[in-house]
Amino acid sequence: MIAQPVIAIEGVTVRFGGTEALRDVTLHVNAGEFCALVGPSGSGKSTLMKLVNRLVVPSAGAVRVRGRDVGQEAAPVLRRSIGYAMQSVGLFPHRTVADNIGTVPRLLGWDAARIARRVEELLALLRLDPGMATRLPRALSGGQAQRVGIARALAADPDILLMDEPFGAVDPITRRELRAEMRRIHAETGKTILLVTHDPEEALELATHVVVLRDGRIEADGAPAELVAPDAAPFVRDLLGGGQPGLRWLSLLPARGALDPRPAPAGAPVLARDASLADALSRLAESGDEAVAMEGEAGSVRAEGILGARR
Amino acid sequence: MIPALVAIAALLLPLPFLGVAPNRLLPGEGVTAIAALGPWVALPVALLALGAWRRLPGWVGAASAGLAALALLGLAGMAAGERLADLAPAARASFGAGFWVAMVGALALVAMRGAWMGVAVAAGAVLLLAGGWLDQLSLVVEGRARAEALRGAVLTHLALAGAALGLALLVAVPLAWAGFRQPRLGAALGAALAGVQVVPAIALFALLIPLLAALLRAVPALRDLGLGAVGWLPAVLATAAYLALPLWRSVSGGLASADPAAVQAAEAMGMTEGRILAEVRLPLALPVFAGGLRVAVVQAIGLVTLGGLVGAGGLGALVFEGLAQFATDLMLLGALPILLLALAADTLARAAETRLGRPA
Repeated sequence: MIAQPVIAIEGVTVRFGGTEALRDVTLHVNAGEFCALVGPSGSGKSTLMKLVNRLVVPSAGAVRVRGRDVGQEAAPVLRRSIGYAMQSVGLFPHRTVADNIGTVPRLLGWDAARIARRVEELLALLRLDPGMATRLPRALSGGQAQRVGIARALAADPDILLMDEPFGAVDPITRRELRAEMRRIHAETGKTILLVTHDPEEALELATHVVVLRDGRIEADGAPAELVAPDAAPFVRDLLGGGQPGLRWLSLLPARGALDPRPAPAGAPVLARDASLADALSRLAESGDEAVAMEGEAGSVRAEGILGARR
Repeated sequence: MIPALVAIAALLLPLPFLGVAPNRLLPGEGVTAIAALGPWVALPVALLALGAWRRLPGWVGAASAGLAALALLGLAGMAAGERLADLAPAARASFGAGFWVAMVGALALVAMRGAWMGVAVAAGAVLLLAGGWLDQLSLVVEGRARAEALRGAVLTHLALAGAALGLALLVAVPLAWAGFRQPRLGAALGAALAGVQVVPAIALFALLIPLLAALLRAVPALRDLGLGAVGWLPAVLATAAYLALPLWRSVSGGLASADPAAVQAAEAMGMTEGRILAEVRLPLALPVFAGGLRVAVVQAIGLVTLGGLVGAGGLGALVFEGLAQFATDLMLLGALPILLLALAADTLARAAETRLGRPA
C-alpha cells in the first residue's frame, strides 16, 4: 500500500501581482518526515511553506493537507491544527510566556487547568525554566524567546509543524543547541515537520527529506545523501555541498554500510554504531591506522572501503 | 536658578505688586512690593533664595519655594486689607505685574525642585482662602459675589469638554480603523482632519452658527430635539472637530505600532481578524492611544472656553464677560479655573498613561 502524503502540493503556481513566486510546483511530504526547504532568498521556499496553512493561496493547482483540500476548511480552523514558528518569533509582548504558549489551546477552547498542564510539559520539553512562565517576552534572551516560540507552535500537539527559518536570528551556539532540540523532538514525537532554511548545513543535518528551490521551481527533491552525491545536479551539489561536497556526502552515509569482514588491528579506534563515513575518515586521519573498529561488530571500516563509497 | 532670580527681581524692582482702584472697573494705581509689604518683603525673598540654593536637598528647596509662593499670596492679602482700610467700600485691590512675575517664578522653582510639592502649595492656598486671609483681594471679592455662577460655570465647562471629547472619540476611532484598513483613505482623512486645525478656532466657532441655523431651518424637527444654532451645540461640534486630529492620529499610530511579527504569528496560529484586533492590536495600541487622549482632554478644556462666545456658557462666558467689561479680575476668575482644570486633567491622564504603558 502506498502511504498517502500528509502534505500534497500539486502543480501549484503562485503569483504576487505580476511576479511568479512559484511555478508549477509539486511536492509530497509523508507523515513523520522532517522536510527541509532550501534555496537562495527569493527562491519561493517560504511561499511554498505558507501554502500549507493557507497564509498563501495558490493562483493555480491544489494544496491538500491530510487528504483534504485546504480551501475547503475555514483558514483559522486549519491554522489551529498546524504548528507555526518563525524567525521573528512574534511573541505577544503584552502576554506572559505561559499565555503565549497557551494561545492555540485557548483558541481551541481547552479549559484553564489543561492549558496550564500543557504549558508545564512544553516548558520541560524545550528545557525552559518553569519560573519563566510568568515572565513577559521582553525579559527573555533571543534563544529563550525562540524556544518559547517553538513551544507555542507545539502547544496544541499538532501533527504538522511549519518552521520558517526558526534559528536564523540566534547566535551559532544557541542555534546548534536548538537544532539538536528539534532533532530530539522530531524523534520523540514523530511529527511531520516542514522547515524553511537558507542554511544547507542545517537542512542536511536535520532533514530526512530535502527540497531545493530556485526561482520558484523545485530543483531537487530527495534524501540528503542523494542530493550531495557525486552524480547530483551541479547547482544542487554546489548549494548543499559547501566547499567540500565530497566530505559532506560522506558525513551523510552510515559507516556501517562499508563494514569489511576483516577485523581491525588491536588498539584501533572504535566507532559508534551510528557513525558516518566522514567520522570513520576523521578517526583514520587522527590515528594513522588503516582501519577502525566498530562497536559491537567483528569487522572493521577501512580506508579503501570509505573511498569505495562511489562504487 | 533663574526663576528665583526673576522672582526676587520682581519683588525688589519698582514693579506694581498691587493695584489699588476706586472701583472694580477703573484701572488702579500701582504699589510696589517694598511699599506694600514693608520689611515683610524680606520673607519671600529669603525663602526664594533658600529654595534656589543647590546645596540643600530637593525637597527642602521645593518646600522653601512653596512657602515663598504661599507667603506672597498671604502677604498680598494682608497688604490689600491695609491699603483698603481707609477707602470707600467699592475700592478694589488687585494683583499687579510684580506679584504675577514673582508668583510664576516661585511656582516654577517648585516645579524644578520637586513638582509634588505643588499639591501642598494648592492645599495651603485653599487654607489661606478659607481662613479669610485673601478676602480683601479683588479676585476673591469677585469670586464670592459670583460664587453660584462660578460653580455652575465649572460644571458646564466640564460637561461641554466631556461631550466634545465623547463626540470626537465616536468619530475618530471608527475613522482611524477605516484609515488603517485602507491606507489611501487614511491619508485623505489625515489631510482633512489636519485641515480643520488650520482654521482659526474663533472662526470655526462663529462659522458654525450660520451653518447650524441653515440646517435647523431646513430640518425644523431637529429643534424639537433641543438643538439650537447658538448654545452648547456649536461649542461641542467645533471643539470635537479640533480634538478629532490628536485622537485619530493616536489611534492610527497605535494600531500601526503593533509588532508586525506578532500580528503575523497571531494570524498563522488561527486567530480571526476580530480576535487579532481585540487580543493583539488594541492592547498594543493602548499606550500610544493614551498619549493622544491626554492631549485631547487638555485641549478640550482649553477650547471649550471659546464656547463662551457662542452662548454655551462655561468658564469662557466669565472670561469674555470680563473682557467686555475690561474687568481683569472677572477674566481671571474664569481663566484661573480653566488653567487649574487643565493641569489637573493632565496630571491624572499622565498617571493613567504610566499605568497603561506598563503591561500587567
